[in-house]
Amino acid sequence: MVSTYEASSQPNLVIVGGGMAGSKLAHDVHALGLNYQVTLISEEEQVGYNRIMLSALLAKDISKEDMPLVDVTKMANAGVRVVAGDPAVILDVNLRTITLASGTQIQYDKLVLATGSRSSILPLEGSDAKNVIGFRNWQDTEMLTELCSSLHVSVIGGGLLGLEAAVGLAKKGHKVTVYHRSEWLLNRQLDSTAAHLLQAKLESYGVDFKLSTSPNRLLQDGSGEVVAIECDDHTQPTDLVVMAAGITPEITLAERAGIATSRAITVDPQMRTSHTDVYALGECCEFESQTFGLVAPIWDQIKVLLQVLNDKTSTFQIEAVPTKLKVSGVDLFSVGKISPDTGDVCICYTDISTNHYRKLMVNDGQLVGAILYGNVADGSWYFQLIQNKTDVSCWLDTLIFGEAYCRQNAA
Amino acid sequence: MSVTTVQTTCPYCGVGCGVNLSCSSNATNSTITPVTGDQQHPANFGRLCVKGSSLAQTITSDDRLIVPSVYGEASTWDNATDIISQKIQEVTTKYGPDAFAFYLSGQILTEDYYVANKLAKGYIGTANVDTNSRLCMASAVVGYKRAFGSDTVPCNYEDLECCDLLIMVGSNAAWTHPVLYQRIVAAKAQRPHMKVVVIDPRRTATCDIADLHLAITPGSDAAIFSYLLQATGKKGFLDQDFIASHTDGFDSALAQAKASTPDLSSAAKFCGVTEDDLALLCDWWCDTDKSVTFYSQGVNQSSSGVDKCNAIINCHLATGRLGKPGTGPFSITGQPNAMGGREVGGLANQLAAHMDFATLGAQDLVQRFWQAPNMATENGLKAVDMFQAMEEGKIKVIWIMSTNPMVSLPNTSQVKRALEKCELVIVSDIKAHTDTTKYADILLPATGWSEKDGTVTNSERRISRQRGLLSPLGEAKHDWQAICEVAKKLGHHDAFDYSGPHQIFAEHAALSAFENNGQRDFNIGAFQDITKTEYDALLPIQWPVTQSSPEGTARMFVDKHFFTPNGRAKFIPIEPKLPVANTTDQYPFTLNTGRVRDQWHTMTRTGDAASLSQHIAQPYVEIHPDDAKKHDICDKTLVKVYSAKGQTLLKAKVTEATAPGSLFVPIHWTQQFANASIVSALIPPVVDALSGQPESKHARAALEPIKNATYGSLISDTQLQLDDCLYWCKVTSDYGHRYEVAWPETVSIESLKQTFGARSSAPLQWLEYTNPFNSQIRLAGIHDNQLKIVIYLSEAPDVSTTDWLVSKLSPTQSLSDSERMALLVGQPVDVEDKGEIVCSCYQVGTKQISQAIKEGAKTAEALGAKLKCGTNCGSCLPELKAIVSSNLEEAKS
Repeated sequence: MVSTYEASSQPNLVIVGGGMAGSKLAHDVHALGLNYQVTLISEEEQVGYNRIMLSALLAKDISKEDMPLVDVTKMANAGVRVVAGDPAVILDVNLRTITLASGTQIQYDKLVLATGSRSSILPLEGSDAKNVIGFRNWQDTEMLTELCSSLHVSVIGGGLLGLEAAVGLAKKGHKVTVYHRSEWLLNRQLDSTAAHLLQAKLESYGVDFKLSTSPNRLLQDGSGEVVAIECDDHTQPTDLVVMAAGITPEITLAERAGIATSRAITVDPQMRTSHTDVYALGECCEFESQTFGLVAPIWDQIKVLLQVLNDKTSTFQIEAVPTKLKVSGVDLFSVGKISPDTGDVCICYTDISTNHYRKLMVNDGQLVGAILYGNVADGSWYFQLIQNKTDVSCWLDTLIFGEAYCRQNAA
Repeated sequence: MSVTTVQTTCPYCGVGCGVNLSCSSNATNSTITPVTGDQQHPANFGRLCVKGSSLAQTITSDDRLIVPSVYGEASTWDNATDIISQKIQEVTTKYGPDAFAFYLSGQILTEDYYVANKLAKGYIGTANVDTNSRLCMASAVVGYKRAFGSDTVPCNYEDLECCDLLIMVGSNAAWTHPVLYQRIVAAKAQRPHMKVVVIDPRRTATCDIADLHLAITPGSDAAIFSYLLQATGKKGFLDQDFIASHTDGFDSALAQAKASTPDLSSAAKFCGVTEDDLALLCDWWCDTDKSVTFYSQGVNQSSSGVDKCNAIINCHLATGRLGKPGTGPFSITGQPNAMGGREVGGLANQLAAHMDFATLGAQDLVQRFWQAPNMATENGLKAVDMFQAMEEGKIKVIWIMSTNPMVSLPNTSQVKRALEKCELVIVSDIKAHTDTTKYADILLPATGWSEKDGTVTNSERRISRQRGLLSPLGEAKHDWQAICEVAKKLGHHDAFDYSGPHQIFAEHAALSAFENNGQRDFNIGAFQDITKTEYDALLPIQWPVTQSSPEGTARMFVDKHFFTPNGRAKFIPIEPKLPVANTTDQYPFTLNTGRVRDQWHTMTRTGDAASLSQHIAQPYVEIHPDDAKKHDICDKTLVKVYSAKGQTLLKAKVTEATAPGSLFVPIHWTQQFANASIVSALIPPVVDALSGQPESKHARAALEPIKNATYGSLISDTQLQLDDCLYWCKVTSDYGHRYEVAWPETVSIESLKQTFGARSSAPLQWLEYTNPFNSQIRLAGIHDNQLKIVIYLSEAPDVSTTDWLVSKLSPTQSLSDSERMALLVGQPVDVEDKGEIVCSCYQVGTKQISQAIKEGAKTAEALGAKLKCGTNCGSCLPELKAIVSSNLEEAKS
């Protein structure tokens, strides 16, 4: 029951998780001068980097120097205790302690769980091989970066992460095949037209696609390495499998401590968990049955939590978040509904030859969904219209052509 | 760079405005500059209307006829005139001279008219010389002749400005004679006590200045003046001295007026106006000595047009209101040289120089003057009769000059049958394609306005020069030259050997003075020895121009002497009559026709100017809102308007300007511009028995809404075949080809892409836009970043495209990315050019970032504070940093 750290006159704020949410919170608490001694505990050796940019790093669009989200060294010099490469393994909410893998115990007055998530590994036969990996952290990225070129890489999952990984790997000269179980890519964010434009663009980067295809099993050789993917109608040799079939919130620590969880750690609008002085944040938390994979709501959560930690009131609420794909040369934007229900009316604009596509869904005078491909300049305006529930009924003639036309005709 | 300018005369309406036409040239090319009004011309003093102002735009080589064509093959003048002269020789020998006919136009020049009239009436021996002027002022001519013994317009334009009461009857001068109307507007503004009364079934633009508008029952005009005559008598405002000393027939005219319109209430009822309004007009008329009655097609185009004219003239005779400033019955002509044609005698019921066949000694006089070998001896066939005789096979050869009877004569289907029956149809025109040239066996290329040289006479008897600036295009010839060539081949060399129009004009002048002795009003004997130099310098002058009046004559009948045998004017007893075609259950509407402001006749010239298509782009039918509601017709939707004679497809214009039960359709659109909009097709061939002028402003008609049509606007870089459309109308544009169309039902994007893709000269990339809210479908076809076609569809009829869109068809235009999308909006927009998007979370682009850096944001954080870029996911931060450093380096170097 001994803290390895010296006692502080300030209350101890311990943040478990050195990913984007945890490190940004540590940075902001410190930067705002809140009255806490902050301790940031990271499982990964790399703390405070921008996870979103791993695909850019993989694609070599940027270098490691471009990766930091917050300046950890500066933060540490200023008094924030940063523990790297030493995961928290036990949480005792009664004693208010955290035990790390190294055995170190840390006392907290307030605890923030920002344990993030892990790549979901599909329960496929053969997926336990060591050349089946996720694409989630620095280590995954380094591993992929260090591969010798011209491998056959199979990416399972044509969602945002899978596509970013696929492009990154293709740019490095690998032969990449993406397996996607739906009829079109990003099927939760795009409609078929936009997805086909995207697919054509990604194919021009050298990525192959197998749509409406789910692997049945991964075939291993004698040494336990996956050598091929077996699907219904064919078997494809492969040197490496990247699982990008979604993420699973990392809640082991909380569960073991008896903190209430569902799919993730359930929190209230002040980011409080079932236990006093324990908060959760980011991909590991669940609010109103929703989990979070995009950065914008997490930044909102941090803002709320900063207020709460400062004994002020603030309330988190869920807002629509637009989707963007972080692949250079691809501009797509999607927010709200992607396919019309009864009562929704679609306005469409298509210029296939220049890869420009827009679809808007309007219901009862309000914009409820927007998909843009190619020219996404009006995306943030449509986003605002949806968020503000703006009455767009006077703009219906020009809505699809964007803000400038609507403003011009209103003037 | 040198500039050549001529003073010439506008070729449109009868106002006859002076126009300065200039051409600037250098070594390689020459350009026609926009025309200006001639400050010195007494018709307009520098003013021009929009049609006149756009004249330069109509000087185009598009679709000009430049070589003769014989049975569809390009030919030579020599060959064409050989065939013409041989055929005339053949048919006149075999069937007599009346197997030949000229059908001329109020747009050819006096000199052209003169030689045509001379050839037919003196040398071929037929009076089958008629003209489209028959359609516009034949009734006015007969009205004047019955009253004055001569076809004499007593007034001049100044009378319109100095009168105290101006009664405008059947005239929408604001649109048809805009410069004259503007002179009236200016005069009324200066002299506010001047009253203007408009008598017209419709509320037209002319009513803007009206102190009183009498929206009469169509065709009831004569009753107004019949009542005015009897009321003037009853109230004691007659000019008894004038009536007694200078007129005949007053008593019977008054008796008829009393019988026809015994009192205010019966007259008001007949005319469909309130008693108060009619009484007010009557009071003003009685009280105002300086009164002018200004009348035009609404009076003339009637089965009782001559009577209407005389009903008007009777009132002026009864009050002595003519031959004095600010008084008179003033017929305004619709064409630039209807008057010149009348002076020459270029009508079937005239002989020459204001002499008729019936004029005692006239045939002999003219024969001696011309030394004519084969004089016609009686009236020829007037326009409608001429085409009927043609269908009956009596006329074997017709020479149509500068007019478009397939559009302008009533009963179009009969005109078509006549032309098809005729053995040789010769058409002289400037255009290769008109509704009439289609039926020509021989096409002769004529010179156009900018090339022609000669004289015209306007509505106030003012002779002005049209002066050619340009050389004839291709092998085009002046009409007088074409006629003279044929005349010479017919063996009349000496009589038709003119060195230029001045010689013809001199001969025309000499004939007018020949043995005149003051017996004939038309006398321009002062010009009988005119030289070419004098002719070229001729200033506008009002006839008569004689030794005793060398400066011309501003006003006629000042001396109260008329050209009847006894020198006294005649009252004509008038029984007002309504139009012949009454409405029936089957045809419940009264159809009226007329002009629109910015088009002229059959659009063969105004149709070339894009600016003139902007005021009114499509043919339409005016319908009163009550009738529209009753027939389930919405504004701008397509309507079928039909009569027993034919049918049209027109856009509805729902307006209270037209009375319930009445329709109005403009006359201009031909098959060159729309597939089914020729209003003449609906008009029965009813004519005034005395003048032969058709009742073109009246038909009974029915209408039917077109339901479930899909409306569309098309612009294309090539001409489009639109036979699969229910309706199409070509709208002149500065670039490419623009059409307004309607399909009978819904059309799919796929079928449009297929249809127009197949018709395109190059493979197309398609841009598509669909919006169920306004039922819009829009497509643009692009090849190699050049716009080829744009298609806008809507269930609503209002889908017209814009000038901006048309400008994108310019072959020098390459489309930018923002313009591609704008093609489907129809307009450009000032979209902030953000540059390449760097921050996709907040849509911040390179150009915005560079600007912010210039304004002092020198770090990624500062940029984030200013533009929000990089403050969400942060993945653009590396790029932002790179942009900052490269911008700062740039600034340093």
